Amino acid sequence: MRFDPRSLGVAAAVAAFALLTLGIWIPADVESGVVETFRRRTVIGDAMAPTVVAIGMVGAAALLAASEILNRRGSGATLDRHSLAFIARFAAVIAVGLALMSHTGPLVVDAINALGGAIGTYRELRDTVPYKYLGYLLGGTVLVGGAIAVVEQRLTRGVALTGVVAALVLTGLYDLPFDDLLLPPNGDQ
Amino acid sequence: MGVLDHVWLGVVTVFTQAPVATVFGLPISIVVLMVVLGFLGGIVVGATPGLGGPFAMAISLPILITIFGFNPDALLPVLGFLIGIMKGATVGGAVPAILFNTPGTPDSLMTTLDGFPMTRKGEAGKALRIAHFSSASGDTFSDLVLFTCAPFLAITVEVYLDFPEKAALIVLSLAFISAVVGDSVWKGILAALFGMFVAFIGTGEDHHPRLSLGTDALAGGLPLISVVLGVLILGEVFAALEDMWREKRATDSISTPPATGDNRLRLRDIRRILPFVGMSAGIGTMVGALPGIGSTLAATLGYATGRRLHKGDVPFGEGAPQGVAATEAANSAVAGANLIPVLSLGIPGNVAAVFIILATETISGFNPGPAVFRLTPDQINSEMVVAFGLFTAMVFANLLNWTVGGVFMRSMGIMVRIPKQRLLPIVLLLTLTAIYAQRPEMLSIYVTLFFGLVGYLMRRLRFSVLPFVIAFILANNLEDAVRQAFSATGADPWFLFSSPISIGFMALAVLVVVFFARGRGGQ
Repeated sequence: MRFDPRSLGVAAAVAAFALLTLGIWIPADVESGVVETFRRRTVIGDAMAPTVVAIGMVGAAALLAASEILNRRGSGATLDRHSLAFIARFAAVIAVGLALMSHTGPLVVDAINALGGAIGTYRELRDTVPYKYLGYLLGGTVLVGGAIAVVEQRLTRGVALTGVVAALVLTGLYDLPFDDLLLPPNGDQ
Repeated sequence: MGVLDHVWLGVVTVFTQAPVATVFGLPISIVVLMVVLGFLGGIVVGATPGLGGPFAMAISLPILITIFGFNPDALLPVLGFLIGIMKGATVGGAVPAILFNTPGTPDSLMTTLDGFPMTRKGEAGKALRIAHFSSASGDTFSDLVLFTCAPFLAITVEVYLDFPEKAALIVLSLAFISAVVGDSVWKGILAALFGMFVAFIGTGEDHHPRLSLGTDALAGGLPLISVVLGVLILGEVFAALEDMWREKRATDSISTPPATGDNRLRLRDIRRILPFVGMSAGIGTMVGALPGIGSTLAATLGYATGRRLHKGDVPFGEGAPQGVAATEAANSAVAGANLIPVLSLGIPGNVAAVFIILATETISGFNPGPAVFRLTPDQINSEMVVAFGLFTAMVFANLLNWTVGGVFMRSMGIMVRIPKQRLLPIVLLLTLTAIYAQRPEMLSIYVTLFFGLVGYLMRRLRFSVLPFVIAFILANNLEDAVRQAFSATGADPWFLFSSPISIGFMALAVLVVVFFARGRGGQ
């Protein structure tokens, strides 16, 4: 069997990351050196651990590449264009779900205020029914229903209902028994 | 205060702490209640294909901490629940393997080989009873070894190991886990190094948090629970959903297993399977005591050894009860023994142990490691009381397993009817909500999702996630031990080779890596 280029790619990427870390990131973003001497006392600095690890990464990546080339057994990796297609769809569902979770409540409150409701800010209402549930219920429903729809490759009433029920049950599970527990996104508001 | 006083205090605490109800005049403590709930919940998740003990532990830990808080009184109820889940899931995993040829957990894979043929012969009930008997036997044996070995190992470590030896021991453990888990030694080592690197972000002793890119988000370090749950749970959820998505694309369907019948377990059946149970319990316990190897290999070794020993009418692989017994006793015997390195050295060896460490890191008052079993004259070591309380909770969970576990397990066949593709997205939302409950900021959700993607990519590129997680947890302990060893030896750069014991550990670490690299050609 020919060697798998994905493992060589991973080895090269890891080695490049480790070399950049050694050459740029650690010098720029760590205050002390590898070893520090202060009042004739020598101690290990904050740069020691990441430096040793990064050097180890370069070595392990080189050995991984060498073993791939010498053995040619194939890495068994299953990351291909189908994986990327799946991840793109799934990431879109998660992004929409989390965006709805974060913004639905504040947007609804803003809309009511704009229509003359004068109910106050979302921050003031974030522990008040129904506002505190809006984002989590809508975002959670889209997240669960959307993920199922991606896998089953169809959006049915059953899928949508599963999303709604899951979001409702989890809301009950987390919010009803615990007074001091905040559902997303209410802790950020 | 002697050891027996601590044992007694541990037992008393388990059965008297904060009674929540009374049954037949007897007060039921919160610890007892949590062990019961954890055990029954563990059977349910173990019997649900696609879930398993680690999922349940991951989801429940933040909720438990929210309920019980961070003070030492929370330790035994939280640990009792986690132990209950660990034991229940091990038993429950056999149900879908036997009834529907669908292993609930990876270590139940070998159970399908004889369990499902028994089901097809109309002996599903007998197969389930044999699985339960063998699993409970293996688990009980393993726990007894844990209770005996962990304190002695811890005392030995405390007496003989100083900072250089402790640092070398952590290096040896990480080398061992990296080498034996997964199918490439170098990938295992890369995963462990990456885990350590991530742990170093935002930590250190300088005023400026290292590697934080000048951001507040990284300045406090990456949240332990977000990284661990992301890599372990969300990575698995993403990979499993993609597998089903591919199956749907290829076949236009997602496979769901059929249903089946029942039977009895007789004394002569027990006599037939006992040698296999005993042998597999020994194998599982030995495998479990070594960090990183895990129950899947124990099940495989138990099954393979059982096949050599077997001389019955029905060959292994065609519905031999001994095959089910050998597998279940071996994979269940891993659970207790896996806590030996946790309690005596503070080193987690498998995923379940990672959650025990996560709980103790989050709740104050118990730091697994050699100091747990340190005796001080005229003083109570509260950590030792917790350790013996934990042992008591394990014994109680075993009693539950022997009494109600079998009946409850056999009623769980229905769980396999829940479609995995609908369950896993709910697990995703549940995990994200649990993370937010413990750390109420969207950033913790984004970090968890990012490490979920890391876990997914590692699985797809055949990198084992266990070395990453264990190295992430141990990295700062290792750095502390190295700093202190360096100072204690007067800045000797060869401090890791300053004593015969540390030289031995370091040599063993190199030997383990070379041995497995040569044996598998690095693969």
